[in-house]
Amino acid sequence: MPHQLEGPAAPKSQRSKVARPPEDPDSKKMQNKRLKDVEISFPIVYGTISFWLGKKASEYQSHKWTVYVRGATNEDLSVIIKRAVFQLHPSFNNPTRVVESPPFELSESGWGEFEIAISLFFHNDVCDKQLDLYHQLKLYPEDDTGPQTTKKPVVVETYDEIVFSEPTEAFFLRVQNHPAAVVPRLPAGLNLPPPGPSEILNEKKRGDTKDHPLSQWFMNFSEADELLKLAAARQQVQAHIAKLRRQLSVIDGPSQQLNAASGQ
Amino acid sequence: MDAKDILGLPKSSFPASQEKKPRPPKESQRKPDGVSREVYALTGGLAPLMPSIEVSHLKKRPPPENKEKVTWQWLPFTSSARTDNLQLYHWVRVVNGVPPTGDYAFAKYNKSVDVLKYTDEEYEKHLTDPTWTKEETDQLFDLCERFDLRFIVIADRFPTSRTVEELKSRYYGVSRALKIARAPSFADVSGHPLVKERYNVAHEVERKRALSSVLSQSKQQELKNAEILVEAKRIMELRVINKTEEVDMPVSTTNIETTDKAANQAEPISPSSNAQPSPPAAAPPTLGTDSNSTPASLRMLRVYLRTHVLEQTVQAASSTAGLRTIKRVDQTLQDLGVHLKPKVPTKSVCAEHLELRKEIITLLNLQKQLQNKEAEVSANRENSYVETPGTPKRTYRGDTDRPFIPESVGFGGERVGKRDHKRKTSGRFSDAPPSPPQSKRPRKLKASDG
Repeated sequence: MPHQLEGPAAPKSQRSKVARPPEDPDSKKMQNKRLKDVEISFPIVYGTISFWLGKKASEYQSHKWTVYVRGATNEDLSVIIKRAVFQLHPSFNNPTRVVESPPFELSESGWGEFEIAISLFFHNDVCDKQLDLYHQLKLYPEDDTGPQTTKKPVVVETYDEIVFSEPTEAFFLRVQNHPAAVVPRLPAGLNLPPPGPSEILNEKKRGDTKDHPLSQWFMNFSEADELLKLAAARQQVQAHIAKLRRQLSVIDGPSQQLNAASGQ
Repeated sequence: MDAKDILGLPKSSFPASQEKKPRPPKESQRKPDGVSREVYALTGGLAPLMPSIEVSHLKKRPPPENKEKVTWQWLPFTSSARTDNLQLYHWVRVVNGVPPTGDYAFAKYNKSVDVLKYTDEEYEKHLTDPTWTKEETDQLFDLCERFDLRFIVIADRFPTSRTVEELKSRYYGVSRALKIARAPSFADVSGHPLVKERYNVAHEVERKRALSSVLSQSKQQELKNAEILVEAKRIMELRVINKTEEVDMPVSTTNIETTDKAANQAEPISPSSNAQPSPPAAAPPTLGTDSNSTPASLRMLRVYLRTHVLEQTVQAASSTAGLRTIKRVDQTLQDLGVHLKPKVPTKSVCAEHLELRKEIITLLNLQKQLQNKEAEVSANRENSYVETPGTPKRTYRGDTDRPFIPESVGFGGERVGKRDHKRKTSGRFSDAPPSPPQSKRPRKLKASDG
C-alpha cells in the first residue's frame, strides 16, 4: 500500500495537539520533585518498511520507504515525545526532517541504503535531554528471502525501551496509567495522589498506530519467547556447570570439595 | 603442484635418469677448460645457476697494489706481566721484515688487585676481632694477594677451617676499617664501594642456600612448584573477580535498587526462574537484582535506552574478564542459539541475558579449572613411572584414576555413562564451546512456539 503513505515533512494538523503536559506553573513547582529509585520505561519499536516500486521504479527512485518510531504495542508515544527528527542522507533535499506530531514517521523514496539517525525530543516534564536512535535503512531483501517483489516489503524493526530514571512526580502521575508506559510500583513510603482521571482516556486514541496502514507489516516482539529461549539456555549451562563441579570434586577428593564449591 | 611445477621442470618421476643417459658423453666433451673433470662431474652436467668466472680470470693474479711483504716468524718475546723475564717464543706476523715492537699484546690483561696492607700498629688500633687472630688475618691477606681475591681458592688453601663467607667478611671488614681509618674524614671515603657496601654475611649465606636449593631440586619438586604457582595464580584471579563483584554490589544496592524495587522486578522475572528448576550444585540463582542495576553514568542521563544498559554492562564485564573470554562467551551464546543482543531487550530479558553470560563465564572457568586439574593428574601419572611413590600427591591418585572420566563436554550429555571411554582421560576436555547438536534445543523451542 505504498500509495497510501503520506508526504514526509507535512505534519498532520488534526493530530498536532496531543497529550501536552500540564503547564500550570503552580503545580509545576510541587511536582518537579524527582522520584528516586524509580524508572519509567516505554517499549518502542523503530525501523523501516520499504516497498520496491517494480515497473514504476526509476534509476533514482527504486523504492518507497517509511521510517518510524512507534510504541511496541502501537500505543501513542506522543505522551512523551514532543518531536522526532530524522536525519537523512545528505543527498536528500532538506535531509533534516522534523516531525512534530504522531505518528512519528517519515516516508521517502530513493535507491540507496544508509543509516538514519532519529533524535527524539521529549516534553518538558519528561526529560530535557534528547535520545538518539540509529537505524540502517534496508531496501533490498536478503538473498535467502527470495526475489524482490512489489507485494512484500522489506521490514527491519528494532525493539528497545526508552528508560526514564528518577522521573518527576508530575511526569509519573501523568503517565502512570498510560498504556504505552511500563510503570513500577512506587517505593514504600511514597504516596502520590491519584491522577486526574479523564486526561489520558480522552487522548488515548489519537496518536496510536493501531490502525496504521502499514500495521500488517509490523513485527511482533515477544518477550515470552525470548525469556523462554534464555531460560532453556541457562538451564543447559547450569546443568553443565553442575556436571563440571561434580567432576572437579571427584578429582579434588572429598577433602577439597569445599574449595571447588567456593571457587566460584 | 609442487616445486617442480614452480621451477618449470618436467613432471616425470625420474627426469634426471632419463635425460642423463644421452647427455654425459656430450657434456664431458664440452667440459670447459680449467675445470677438473671430477669437479665438473659434481655439477651433474647441469648449467650452473650463477655465471661462473671465466677461466682466464682465474689464472690471473690480482695486481700487486700494496707491496707489503707479510711473513710469519718464530720470534722470542717477553711480557711485562711476568716478573721473571722468562723468554718464550711465538709466531708473529712480520710486515716487510719489521717485527712488531712494544709489549706483549696480552700483558694488559694481567690485572692484579691492590690488597691493602696494614701495619701492626694499625691492626692493634682498628682491626682486632675476637674471632680472628692476627696470624690468621695475615695469612688471609697473603692469600688474597696471591690469588687475587679468588676466595674459593683462598678458602681451599686456608690452613684453618673457615667458610668462604667468613673469609670474605674478614677481608672486606678489615679493608673497610683501614680505608676509614686512613682517610682524613669519613666523608672522603663514604663514596668508596668498600665503605658504602658492607659485606652482609647472613644475606650471602641465605642467597647461596636458596640458590643451591633451586639447583638441587628434583624434577618432581619442580613440577610441584609449578603447580602451586598455577594454583596461586588461579586463587589470585578469583580474588580479583570476587573483589570487583563486591565493589559492584554496594553500588547497585545503595544507588539503584531498593528492596522494594527488587520486589517489583521479581515479578516479571519469576516466570522464567520458575520455569527452570536450578540444579542443586549450581550457584544460587540471583534474581537479577545486581545485573539489573543500571550504570550510574546512564542514570545520570535521565533518559537512555534499555540496550545501552546491556551494552555497558557487557562491556564492563569484558574489561574485567578479558576480551578472549568474552569472545568465547559470545561463541557459546551462538552455539546455544541465543542472540548476542536480545531481540526483545525488556528489563527481564536483559537481566536473564546477563545472568546467562555470567553463568557461561562460570562454566568456562570451571572448564579451565578442570583442564588444569587434569593436566596435574596426568603430570603426576607421568612422574609415577619415573620416581618412587610416597609423595603426598600420590595418596588420591589411586582412586581418582578411575572416576576421573570426563563424560562429554557437550551440553546434551548423550555420552554419559559410556565407560569404554574411561582411559582416554587426557585431552578429552577440550575447552571448545558446546558442539552444534546441543544447540538445537532452543531452536526447537522457537520453532514450536512460533
